[in-house]
Amino acid sequence: MDGLLTAATAGLSAGGAYAILGVCAVFTYRLVAVVNFTGAAIGATGAFAMVALIEAGMAQFPAIVLGVLAGTLTATAIGVVMTRWFSGATASTKAAVTAALLVGMIAVGLRLTGGQDAHLFPAVAPGSAFRFAGVEVTNAGVLTVILAVVFTFAAETFLARTRTGLRLRALSERPMAAELMGIPVRRLAITVWMLTGAMTTVALIIIAPQRSPNFASMSLLVVPALAAALIGAFSSFRAALLGGLLIGIVEGLASGIDRFSQYRGAVPFIVILAVLLWSQRGARWDEAR
Amino acid sequence: MSLLDVSGLVVNRAGVGVVRGTSVTAEAGQISVLLGANGAGKTTLLEGIAGIAPVAAGRVVLNGADLTRASPGDRARAGLALIEQGRTVFARLTTEENLRVSMDPETGPENAYALFPELRQRSGIAAGMLSGGEQQMLVIARALLARPRVLMIDEMSAGLAPVIVSRLMKAVRRLADEGMAVLLVEQFASLALAIGDRAYVLRRGGVVYEGGCDTLARDPERLHHLYLGDAPVGRGE
Ligand SMILES: Nc1ncnc2c1ncn2[C@@H]1O[C@H](COP(=O)(O)OP(=O)(O)OP(=O)(O)O)[C@@H](O)[C@H]1O
Ligand SMILES: [Mg+2]
Repeated sequence: MDGLLTAATAGLSAGGAYAILGVCAVFTYRLVAVVNFTGAAIGATGAFAMVALIEAGMAQFPAIVLGVLAGTLTATAIGVVMTRWFSGATASTKAAVTAALLVGMIAVGLRLTGGQDAHLFPAVAPGSAFRFAGVEVTNAGVLTVILAVVFTFAAETFLARTRTGLRLRALSERPMAAELMGIPVRRLAITVWMLTGAMTTVALIIIAPQRSPNFASMSLLVVPALAAALIGAFSSFRAALLGGLLIGIVEGLASGIDRFSQYRGAVPFIVILAVLLWSQRGARWDEAR
Repeated sequence: MSLLDVSGLVVNRAGVGVVRGTSVTAEAGQISVLLGANGAGKTTLLEGIAGIAPVAAGRVVLNGADLTRASPGDRARAGLALIEQGRTVFARLTTEENLRVSMDPETGPENAYALFPELRQRSGIAAGMLSGGEQQMLVIARALLARPRVLMIDEMSAGLAPVIVSRLMKAVRRLADEGMAVLLVEQFASLALAIGDRAYVLRRGGVVYEGGCDTLARDPERLHHLYLGDAPVGRGE
């Protein structure tokens, strides 16, 4: 029993990161109508930029700041591409474009980061936060979960309460009508990309030390992220938050059981499959795409 | 000089001239009515003026400022508003949120509720749940709160009950009386001519009649021929 609890808490920091990525996916889908496959790759770009700076001798804190900035800039660049050339495209075309971009980013990223060469990611939040029922809970786990919760409620409040949030909701429904009303459509869309880019990078920097530190596998964290977003039907931030945490915990549990540990990577896949089947022949996925 | 002066406008769609050198004007305090059969190019003309259809030639001048090359957003901020065909409410936003998107946070939605009191009762309801007439009121109210100088309205009566239509027409007349310039595209020719000042009839992208609304209203037969295309191109008064 203790072993399982340990395994579950071990999945907590991954779950927090999945939740942040999932909430970002919902944010991007709801506001700029893009199912974004590059989400984690954007974060990976920022995280690897940070590592490169540290390897070049920079201190950790400024390197983290610049890494987040690099992720934000990458997201901005993708946002510019999407709003400039694909703003009139259908949701499936836009999803396909980001999937293609992901493939390109992985290829370039692997090349620039030396393929499978190991990089040492510094622990941003090392050590243990507290013991719970005899199980150690790490600082990284606590930090990602707190960040995920704060981000979820911040996103909700921002959309519900602020004038910019209101305009973003209007814009996401009818870009043309919004533009005709003088709302700065493109600027707002790019702001969405910047915000999610920064947030994703933060999440990946925190969990990088626990993952296999190569560009491709970090970029593919988009799979659990989209699974989490799908649990929220690409519309509910809270469901994506819970979904992300759940996937992380189940993954942790699976790796705690010898027989399943090799298959823990399949957890998001199973979740996606289950949600799709449960939501009646994939109606939600179709709508989301 | 008119408040809105559109001259020689050309808009091509798929290589074909849909608006062909059309000139129309709108004056503060007046309603210019734009009539024409289906496919005459009325919507495309408004889209060219608003900047969402590519203009190949001609000029759009608002209060002396040339907006021909300006973005739709810049035109809106300069005082040009287009209410598109098909009641483009933000369906998932409430009625009041729809209004808040366009209004000046200082002034609030009162002007909109004064024009259409029924919207106040529906303020907390998702706009997608409103009736067609209420949705049309909402898009007019929403546009009005941005305080435009020129209000272009495309087919506001389509599919609505006659009582509602005459209510909307009265509201539009009131906005003009308060000083707005209105450019009204309508299928309901008789109702539009009854509240309008200046009339244009469009056929195949060109103006085939320009004159007073009353002249045309008195001569339904001529209007009929202008629509169908066998009347001589002409001028009223
Ligand atoms: N995006 C487009 N691509 C190609 N052709 C178009 C496009 N938009 C309009 N057209 C064509 O231009 C012509 C004029 O269309 P428009 O919608 O301006 O007419 P309208 O006078 O508003 O008609 P209605 O009364 O039916 O609304 C039509 O023949 C239409 O098929
Ligand atoms: Mg039309």
